[in-house]
Amino acid sequence: MADCILVVAEHREGKLNRASFETIAGAQAISKETGWAVEVVVVGEGLDAVIAELATKSVSRVYAIEAAALAAYTSDAYVYALKNFVSTKQPKLVLFPHTYQVRDFAPRLALALDRTLISDAIGYKFESGKLLFSRQMFQGKFAADVSFAGDPPWLVTFQIGAFRGDLAEPGSAPTEKVTAAVAEGAPRVTPHEVFQEAKQAVDLSQAAIIIAVGRGIKEQKNVAIAENLAAALGGELAASRPICDNGWLPLERQVGSSGQTVAPKLYIAIGISGAIQHIVGMKGARTIVAINKDAEAPIFEIADIGVVGNLFDIVPALTAEIVKVKAGT
Amino acid sequence: MIHFRKPLEGIERPQMDADVVIVGGGPAGMACALRLSQLIDEHNAAHPDAALTKDNIYLLEKAREVGQHCLSGALLDPRSMRELLPGFESEAPIDAEVTKESVWFLTEKGQHKFPIVPPPLRDHGNYVISINRFVKWMGQKVEEAGITVFTGFAASQLLFDDVVDSGRVIGVRTDDKGVDKEGRPKVNFEPGYDLHAKITVLAEGSRGSCARQLIARQQLEDPKHAQTYGIGIKELWEIPSGRIAKGEVIYTMGYPLTTHEYGGAWIYGVNGGGTSDTLVSIGYVVGLDYEDPRTDPHHVFQDFKLHPFARRILEGGKMVRYGAKSLPYGGWLTMPKLAGDGWMLLGDSASFLNSQRLKGIHLAIKSGMLAAETAFDAMLSGNTSESQLGEYKLRVDQSWIREELYPVRNFHQAFEHGLVDGLAKAGIQQVLGGNNLGPDYRNDAGYLHLKMADELSIWGDKRQHFLGNAKGDGKLTFDRLTDVYHSGTRHEDDQPTHLVIADIDVCNNRCVKEFGNPCQYFCPAAVYEMIEPGPASDGEPQALKQLHINFANCVHCKTCDIMDPYQIITWVPPEGGGGPNYDGM
Repeated sequence: MADCILVVAEHREGKLNRASFETIAGAQAISKETGWAVEVVVVGEGLDAVIAELATKSVSRVYAIEAAALAAYTSDAYVYALKNFVSTKQPKLVLFPHTYQVRDFAPRLALALDRTLISDAIGYKFESGKLLFSRQMFQGKFAADVSFAGDPPWLVTFQIGAFRGDLAEPGSAPTEKVTAAVAEGAPRVTPHEVFQEAKQAVDLSQAAIIIAVGRGIKEQKNVAIAENLAAALGGELAASRPICDNGWLPLERQVGSSGQTVAPKLYIAIGISGAIQHIVGMKGARTIVAINKDAEAPIFEIADIGVVGNLFDIVPALTAEIVKVKAGT
Repeated sequence: MIHFRKPLEGIERPQMDADVVIVGGGPAGMACALRLSQLIDEHNAAHPDAALTKDNIYLLEKAREVGQHCLSGALLDPRSMRELLPGFESEAPIDAEVTKESVWFLTEKGQHKFPIVPPPLRDHGNYVISINRFVKWMGQKVEEAGITVFTGFAASQLLFDDVVDSGRVIGVRTDDKGVDKEGRPKVNFEPGYDLHAKITVLAEGSRGSCARQLIARQQLEDPKHAQTYGIGIKELWEIPSGRIAKGEVIYTMGYPLTTHEYGGAWIYGVNGGGTSDTLVSIGYVVGLDYEDPRTDPHHVFQDFKLHPFARRILEGGKMVRYGAKSLPYGGWLTMPKLAGDGWMLLGDSASFLNSQRLKGIHLAIKSGMLAAETAFDAMLSGNTSESQLGEYKLRVDQSWIREELYPVRNFHQAFEHGLVDGLAKAGIQQVLGGNNLGPDYRNDAGYLHLKMADELSIWGDKRQHFLGNAKGDGKLTFDRLTDVYHSGTRHEDDQPTHLVIADIDVCNNRCVKEFGNPCQYFCPAAVYEMIEPGPASDGEPQALKQLHINFANCVHCKTCDIMDPYQIITWVPPEGGGGPNYDGM
């Protein structure tokens, strides 16, 4: 069999990841210098459209490795299928785009094949018959050229943007479906529904009402007091640094110089003393209400309405009152 | 549960070989790199057939940008710079030449001008500079010379040769990046590099963390002459015109300190590179050998600003920047061994500071140059053992560094028993050319002077005004959090705590009774805080406050590492790039 470069393309639910074309462009460039053929493989199920799209590039063949067990991504099934395919095919080089999914399974595949993986390469060189790959060091200050000491197949992932996908040469390639090897026995990994991380990060800067808690809240369970007020007012919950430091609320809810800068219509600061680090993050609020037991707390210097008192008495009463008013309307 | 930073174990690290690795991009490290580059250029011009490369000389700087962690008054004695770069004045950022100087003794309400300026404090011919801008400029020179500066990379660990010769330093490990609070790798994890260097040059500044590893492991410090330190607290103010001349230098002694603490203030008329007279550098140095654990050096400085002497200059002005940093006071007698197999120590890391003249930048630069000359010889000979690198110490002995430091070797030590005693002894030394009426003074580490809470005597009353944290009026004086805000300090929040406490039970159960947790007072950045604990799991409230470490406030001054009475705090570098931003300081 002629020497070949195998590109592992990526898709999600039948939609091709465009980074695959970048890797194909990289493979085509290497192919020009080495004379090795470029072949593409994609793993999953029901991949007709995906391989048709991949076949519009100048490569010698596009394979779809299909099985019902590959319908949803799991590293176990991918590695098993690819290991069998690569072991049979014995390409010189296996290339991947450096995506999150590849980061997950490519190292396992390398281990399963007992071969070496060079990850996150930004380019290659072909010098006196030897392939070198460049990797960034010291956060991009240096690039190091590394090469494989062991036997092929050699595995390489390319950093996103290392090659231009739109420059992948067009062509027309035959496609071939291969039935995937599936491990015997029950799968170790069961994929669940794909989900978006909860509402992504909270964007406090868009919130009209923010209820912020500080160290005066004393304990994690007391955060609920502020949460109730936020729910009653339809506002977002935020915090000063110590609260997020303690892990009582996620970092994305921190307001201040090391968190978010906000300018809501209403900002209620509960048990926040008002160190400058916090104030720079919220002084743009239209109306600032501060509740704090220390009358000398600097928060009162910028508050429009200041309440000196025990937040554990005041906030629940305030919440109850708001709930009552809202129910009445 | 607090997780402390330490290099991750059981991971594979990228390795890199180097000829010379310089740790720290301050005046000493930069001067070392520049001088080394000059020597290589000269050599290569003379011997093109046997050229040396600069490609494998690296400088590590933990700040995001060169100069951001550099803090000083600052006055520069130009002697060493003139040797390093003759005519440097024409291009270096210099604020002003010193035009006017005075020394004052302050009492609570009054002020007394010294009739003459004591000779060591005569500063005519010296320059007022911003050390931040000056070092930034030196860094440009170094990069133009073709030496690689890695900013945002700290040396977290010194590497020793554990196979052949356990005494040999073989390089440094840089900081692990992308490690979360619990010490686990995050998605952006990048392991620290192992830089294997033939010569490792430690120029980390005061109380360097790698230098400390080296000094501890090889017992380089003479216990009879422990290094002593001070902490300098500085603010930069914009003030109305006409109050202080550009290039004017003022020193004060006395109030707010009592005669039992060492320290004093500086006020320099700087101009920030412009032509106006509206920018002033003001600061206070407190010796880290005071006895009352409630002493708050930041509070001392705030008190000083309330004295009519300082108030007159500052009132109506605006504080624009803040910083704090420790400095080594011990001088010649506390200098550790300077070189060994594979390593050299420079600058503040090696006590190159003249505490009588309150100057160290010129000595740091000179030590860097002498180390560079030694490193160059070693690169040529291929011998990087102590037999070759030990030449560095000989060079120091034969240079004007010794001429300057040896005669004042007993100066700070004389003040170990207070101001009155100290001034008398310093006077005698001035007459006897640096000698005492007897042998050289010995001195202990400063933290040993701390008294336990129940030993404090009644005359401690005179200190009431600087005990505990300052509240600040928001105009002339500030609390520490407000000041820290003006230091521009930033750290990645989600990383392990870089103030490593060997046994936190000592803090929560023992120190709280014995010394009253002085960390909450000596830290100028409010990193250490004793807070009320939440109720314990059985619902009963815990009796004692617990130590909480706000590491993200840390301005990298190292005071905690120096002054903690049990010596259980170790300052290690946080993830590279974090720390203060001393732009223009």
